[in-house]
Amino acid sequence: MRRRAPAGRDWYRDAVFYEVHVKAFADGNGDGVGDFVGLTQRLDYLKDLGVDCLWILPMYASPLKDDGYDIADFYSIHPAYGTVEDFQTFLDEAHARDLRVIADLVMNHTSDQHPWFQASRSDPAAAYADYYVWSDSDVRYREARIIFVDTEKSNWTFDPARKAYFWHRFFSHQPDLNYDNPAVRAAMLDVMRFWLDRGLDGFRCDAVPYLVEREETSCENLAETHAVLKEFRRVIDQEYGGDRVLLAEANQWPEDVRPYFGEGDECHMAFHFPLMPRLYMAVRLEERLPIVDIFTHTPPIPPGAQWALFLRNHDELTLEMVTNEERAFMYYAYARDPAMKLNLGIRRRLAPLLDNDRRRIELLNSLLLTLPGSPIVYYGDEIGMGDNVYLGDRDGVRTPMQWSRDRNAGFSAADESKLYLPVIADPVYGYQAVNVAAQAGTPSSLLNAMKRLMAARRTSPAFGRGSIEFLRPRNQRILAYLRREQRDTLLVVNNLAGSPQPVELDLRSFAGSTPVEMLGRTRFPTIGEAPYFLSLGPHGFYWFRLERPDGGDEPYGIEESAI
Amino acid sequence: MTDTGRAPTPSPEIERQLAALGPRAIVVGLPSFNNAATVPAVGAAVRAGLAAHFPEVPAALVNVDAGSTDGTAELLADAGLPVALARHEAPLGERAAVPFHGIPGRDAALRLAFRAARRLDGRVLVLLEADVTSIGADWIERLVRPVLEEKADLVLPAYARQRYEGTMTNLLLAPLARALFGRRLRQPLGGACALSARLLDHVLAHPDLPSTGRDLIDLWVTGRAIADQFALREAWLGPRRVESRTRTTDLPTMAAQVLGALFTVMERYEPLWLGVTGSEPVPAIGEPVARGPAPTTVDVERMVGAFRRGVRDLVEIWEHVLAPETLGDVLSLDARDAGTYRFPDPLWARVAYDFALGHHYAVVHRDHLLRSLVPLYLGRTAAFVLATQAASGAQTEAALERVGAAFERQKPYLVERWS
Repeated sequence: MRRRAPAGRDWYRDAVFYEVHVKAFADGNGDGVGDFVGLTQRLDYLKDLGVDCLWILPMYASPLKDDGYDIADFYSIHPAYGTVEDFQTFLDEAHARDLRVIADLVMNHTSDQHPWFQASRSDPAAAYADYYVWSDSDVRYREARIIFVDTEKSNWTFDPARKAYFWHRFFSHQPDLNYDNPAVRAAMLDVMRFWLDRGLDGFRCDAVPYLVEREETSCENLAETHAVLKEFRRVIDQEYGGDRVLLAEANQWPEDVRPYFGEGDECHMAFHFPLMPRLYMAVRLEERLPIVDIFTHTPPIPPGAQWALFLRNHDELTLEMVTNEERAFMYYAYARDPAMKLNLGIRRRLAPLLDNDRRRIELLNSLLLTLPGSPIVYYGDEIGMGDNVYLGDRDGVRTPMQWSRDRNAGFSAADESKLYLPVIADPVYGYQAVNVAAQAGTPSSLLNAMKRLMAARRTSPAFGRGSIEFLRPRNQRILAYLRREQRDTLLVVNNLAGSPQPVELDLRSFAGSTPVEMLGRTRFPTIGEAPYFLSLGPHGFYWFRLERPDGGDEPYGIEESAI
Repeated sequence: MTDTGRAPTPSPEIERQLAALGPRAIVVGLPSFNNAATVPAVGAAVRAGLAAHFPEVPAALVNVDAGSTDGTAELLADAGLPVALARHEAPLGERAAVPFHGIPGRDAALRLAFRAARRLDGRVLVLLEADVTSIGADWIERLVRPVLEEKADLVLPAYARQRYEGTMTNLLLAPLARALFGRRLRQPLGGACALSARLLDHVLAHPDLPSTGRDLIDLWVTGRAIADQFALREAWLGPRRVESRTRTTDLPTMAAQVLGALFTVMERYEPLWLGVTGSEPVPAIGEPVARGPAPTTVDVERMVGAFRRGVRDLVEIWEHVLAPETLGDVLSLDARDAGTYRFPDPLWARVAYDFALGHHYAVVHRDHLLRSLVPLYLGRTAAFVLATQAASGAQTEAALERVGAAFERQKPYLVERWS
């Protein structure tokens, strides 16, 4: 089967990403933990789903105190997930299917088990002494906030071996690397080269705002940090032909994220964090303002740059990027049980967040796939998997993928007590009810609906590359926007409300064009001078391509006498 | 003549009209549907043609109407000809979306016309189109005389057309018909024609006479006549100007109907074509007219654009229909530069055969399949236009001959995969 994979150096602008945790996807050796052998066996599923690029969560050797974001050796694969050879096979098999792969890379810090840190703490005079940020006191950089407020009291922790404090923006077992040290920058570039040489298509760069520290600043988004990223980009572009991508994780306001694109010479992509909670807010409020508002505050980005959009990911649904008032509303609306809260966020999956309401799940996905940026689907959300809020930290949204109603949801042949986390087994979201095998065979399933949406998205470059222009119909419950790219004009109309809504759209500038619905290919009445009237069912949406009268409807000059 | 076979028996009312007419050697059959604007001209041409060329031969006009509401039948009753007015079954769906030839329920109309012609003891049945206003008195002569005087059984039309008229016929239907039936017909479907009494008896009595399906009868009769060694002729009739408010000009609809008919005939009547090899030209009556230069504006850019959009939007259908190599070759056609863009004939033949096979095996919904051919057809047409814009009439003929020859050469590709 042939399919057009997004080609060219800026492939990521058309791609649909799929975020997957190796340990959670498929267990190839029956030890209860997912691995690269299992993931390789499931590549056809991902291809069939219609994704273009996988984003692999940290796969490196690690004590796993922070689910792999505490890397103990950048050059090896965690033994539970396989070997570098297994990874290579996986990567080659993915490429054979026109699937690309990016991997998480934690740049800001390492595990305290990393040999660099062990050397650094044991011998203040040795080569690795300055690989980390050390201080004799715990009062420097006091302006920097504490991110994991639920577990950490300070950004400094005393190390009895070196008898000094080391700096950590995250957990105290994750010492920050010292990017003022040229040897650290060179060492990280070598790490990247090692994986890029194997064919990896890029990195999701974890926690990039925190690379460099300066006194009397928040120690976030500093110019020195941007300089480091620009250096990495320049070297990678130079050595790898310019089609490897850097995706920045900077949980910041859009105007603060904007510098991570540089002038097209820093990161290729960055997450749009503030949009995500506002999508939920808009659907809960049944009103478009939160979404339109955040885009009004989203600055333009350089040519070739791209936002990464997501509904959910492996972390809590983060509410750092909302106001206190908005946060209170979100807790009220989406996390009535305090167990659902974590740090400044809500640790739930997509389907439970939306009360398993199929209409709202599809609507949110319609927004994800049509707003400007490249969408990222979190594994399991395509079948509406549930979560388990009673598991610790963020584990509740990292449970095994549900493949079938077989033992362990078809995820592993191991004894169930050996699974890294229990499968979801509640009566609503349990694997007996929610699984790939059941949904694959049901044309109306969420899985198949997702496939259709992704296939429709693939038919126009305007979704990934087009400009956005919001329409302002009087009905505030309708979010309607135009996406334009060269001759392709798309009109997306979403009903944020749970009740049927009418809307009149001012489409006079498209008079004569015909909206063609992209999922069913139905031709709607031609646009005239009068307001264009549509009615939408509860949480309904339309994706239209506007066919110009001169774009296919006008005669070719042969049809009058073609026979 | 006795009537056997599966054609419907004419109603008592039409039987009465036919009986009143008595024997008529020349029967002119005219299917119609809301053609009030044009039937007076057609009626006048028939009257003039009969008067000028066959003044001594008894003739009658048989109108088979699909339920016109504009007075078509009344106008024909006053055409100054002996006339019988019949109505045939026309499915509502075909009346709502009129077929490419303009006659809902055309199969039923023809079966009725065949029967009426035999009831009248006609030696020749001439079938005309009610909305073709370029018809002249000489058309009657050229269609009738070969049957009456030269033992022809089936006379098919050849029209004087400019080179970009009939692109679906020239690039798709005619090459397919040539390869399938082994005759180089210029107009295998659509147009005026004439049938002998011998052929009418043969098809009316034939157990295969199509009684279900759409638009099968023209192609089946032609295929049957060729397979059973009836004598074919082609009559040069001059230009064909259609004045219709009802015929579709929507290319996907047209493609679905025309190719749907041809592919269905292939499906149901394998003996008509499966074993045929090679091809022969058909003896012509009248002066051949080379294809004139193109007076109409043909928008190549837009056709190429449609082809590119097809590549963008329809690959997911095409990959079910086209063989992997065919798809690969289609996707590697570079339509960006009009100066170098080509659509090779062997590839085009494989595309057409893959669609026939896809239809045969119903790999995707057949209507979607047929419609998804249109961007490819437009891509092939654009390449044809680019290649012949500055060519002479003879060079254009040669280009079309190469298309037909390619279909003929590649026929084993189709046959091997058919089974």
